Amino acid sequence: MFGKNMCSKIFVVIFTVALFVGFSSMAGAAKINVGALNDMTGATSDVGKDYALGIAEAIHYVNDNGGVNGKEIKLYQFDYGYRVPEALTKYKLFKRLKCVAVLGWGTGDTEALSPTITKDKIPYVSASYSAHLTDPKKTPYNLFFATDYSTNARAAITAWFDKKWPKHKDFGKRKPRLVCSYMFASPYSSAPIKAIKDQATLLGFDIGPDQSVSLFAIDTKSQVLAMKDFKPDLVWHGNTVMSVAATVRDAYALGLGADHIANNWGFDENLPKLAGEAAEGVMGASVCAFFGENVPMMDKVVEYAKKYNPGIPLEKRSVHTVQGWGDVLILWEALKRADKAGGLSGENILKNGFETMKNFDIGLGAAPVNFTATDHRVAGIVPIYEVKDGKFQIVEKVDLKSRWPKKWADEWLGW
Amino acid sequence: MSTTWLPCGTYHQNYVHDHAWWQTKFIKAKMILLLIILFVIIPLVADSYGLSILNLVGYTILGAIGVQLLIGFCGQITLGHAAFIAVGAYTSTLLILEFPWPKILMDWGLAYPISILIAAIVSGAWSVLFGLPCARVKGFYLILTTMAAQFITVDFIITGYVSQIGGRGQAFSLPPGTIKIGPWVIDSDLKVYFVMLVLVIVCVIGVLNLIRSRVGRAWIAIRDNDISAEVMGINVIKYKLLAFYVAGFIGGVAGAFWISNLAAISPEHFPWFWSLWLVGVILIGGVGSIHGTIFGSVFMVVVMEMLQLAVIPLADIYPKLLVDFLFIKEAVFGLAICVFMIFEPNGLAYRWWQMKNYFNLWPFSY
Repeated sequence: MFGKNMCSKIFVVIFTVALFVGFSSMAGAAKINVGALNDMTGATSDVGKDYALGIAEAIHYVNDNGGVNGKEIKLYQFDYGYRVPEALTKYKLFKRLKCVAVLGWGTGDTEALSPTITKDKIPYVSASYSAHLTDPKKTPYNLFFATDYSTNARAAITAWFDKKWPKHKDFGKRKPRLVCSYMFASPYSSAPIKAIKDQATLLGFDIGPDQSVSLFAIDTKSQVLAMKDFKPDLVWHGNTVMSVAATVRDAYALGLGADHIANNWGFDENLPKLAGEAAEGVMGASVCAFFGENVPMMDKVVEYAKKYNPGIPLEKRSVHTVQGWGDVLILWEALKRADKAGGLSGENILKNGFETMKNFDIGLGAAPVNFTATDHRVAGIVPIYEVKDGKFQIVEKVDLKSRWPKKWADEWLGW
Repeated sequence: MSTTWLPCGTYHQNYVHDHAWWQTKFIKAKMILLLIILFVIIPLVADSYGLSILNLVGYTILGAIGVQLLIGFCGQITLGHAAFIAVGAYTSTLLILEFPWPKILMDWGLAYPISILIAAIVSGAWSVLFGLPCARVKGFYLILTTMAAQFITVDFIITGYVSQIGGRGQAFSLPPGTIKIGPWVIDSDLKVYFVMLVLVIVCVIGVLNLIRSRVGRAWIAIRDNDISAEVMGINVIKYKLLAFYVAGFIGGVAGAFWISNLAAISPEHFPWFWSLWLVGVILIGGVGSIHGTIFGSVFMVVVMEMLQLAVIPLADIYPKLLVDFLFIKEAVFGLAICVFMIFEPNGLAYRWWQMKNYFNLWPFSY
């Protein structure tokens, strides 16, 4: 009995001391605090784990290279399991911890938090590239280093239309047919649907009924059979890589006979590994170079991956690590510029940090970054890749901005 | 009211005493103190983070009361309650965004309060629809029919059709200033906290009153033995459906409250996991006890957050602790349910009852 009581007492003392130290550490904030919300256990953890590792490694790199004008960044990184209530409480915790900016993750929580961060004026650099977050009139504090989902999907459909459709036996005889396969309930998966259908109509596609495929799907035969009734030439996949691989594999097994394009979170080094030969010919946009490619800054990405996570073999790392670096690098630059221009208030980070970036090159094979006070789309040029012999080969760089300048400027912003 | 301050037993002289809310002056004083703490002291001392945690506690309580009512008082196991919360949230949101409210109601800030009421009624009716199978099935089979509520409501109807209303795509965002009660725009954690307090208190009092009425006794009789209840003349189907209605009604209130907390919703806010989480809340708090629901909600939200705050300083030594915290939290959730099932099947509410008895009988608590 004595032992049990002693254990309880020791536990209470440790817990109290830890709490006390915790609150004290929050009070003394000599460093620059940045929050990070990542999904390492939830619906998108198949791609979220690698992104989270990239964030942590990139922050180490930033601190090793002088931090923000000599001030170290303190990262508070949490897994929120892709759950919106969890994201909300974590965001409030970041506010309490006096984080000057947040590195966010999913479309659902980023869009849900958007009214709150606009009110709080906290820059929120997300891994969600939803086009809904690119119009500064509606979401001024939402930013990301990459081309948005809608732009990527428009470019991928255009690349297929330019390069693949003319080689089809029915070219010139009928319209090409498109079907979208994605999780209807997921704001991430469904974010670019309106833009995809707009682009498909613009290029003269027939559009078939959408198929709802869960982010957790491991069997999608019923959806593929439903697609077969429409006989599509092209299927757009909006989910993350495990679900996309399952659909591509089932389409191959059931002889769907269509080409595939995937959103960037469904198009990574794991796709050929998971789908095997079914992945051959799958096209997609990549917002930066794949892990280990020969582009500027990639040596640092690989070096820090080896240094801080030596237990994870490099062949298991993916493009999502590089995406994590991309978001950290633009935030770093914005913080440095804002710090020099008067301080790290949210408004200053936005106006004198992000919105001063004109063709800012972060390396990593990403497009040069542009933010203006009226447009948060970073670029209009999107490289489209294709899987060939298990590797990624560039198909075309689609320049939407030059090809449809009026639509780009007047119509396509914010959706 | 009894003149005794600290009764060491139950000495009621009539039914009025027996059913009184505040049975002694001491209890009345304690309740007034609690109200002062909730309405005055907490708003004065808590910051935005603290209030947001308490708002999440309130949301959990509102969600879990319906589950408690169905499982704890009527014996109808449900695993689809998130669907009814979603119906409430979407009804309230759509009413605010799409309904042509007369100008006078908008000016007086009545649109949101009325939408809460309508959301609760719609959600209650929707819950009855999925409660209908309880006329023929019970136990595990009822679990499956209530789970169907989640997939049909959230994944099929809300995602496929309701979310498309107004061409917004999946996520609905409420513009600033649209959530308003009377002259107050609900735009801060503090205001949301007061809305939460009022809704939780009204719902708790409503359910406690129902439970001590004929309806509540009928539910408890059905829970304990439905055949005996039927033999005694209770219309079992009617009362089971009434339980589904009231549970759905309060779920609708929870959903309508949630939109004031975030000003945005999407189907992802109402995953099936949330239904399971609410069942966990009542298991830990105590099945068949309304204050157990409150204890369970506080435990699941506040204790977990405290644990997280305790972990933050340790992250300087072992940074992965923060990233892995959710994993720890899930493990603690599972472990807590196992521990409570084995060592304290009556939940935290029973511990509370024991503590109260100890102090009531002190210094002769043997």
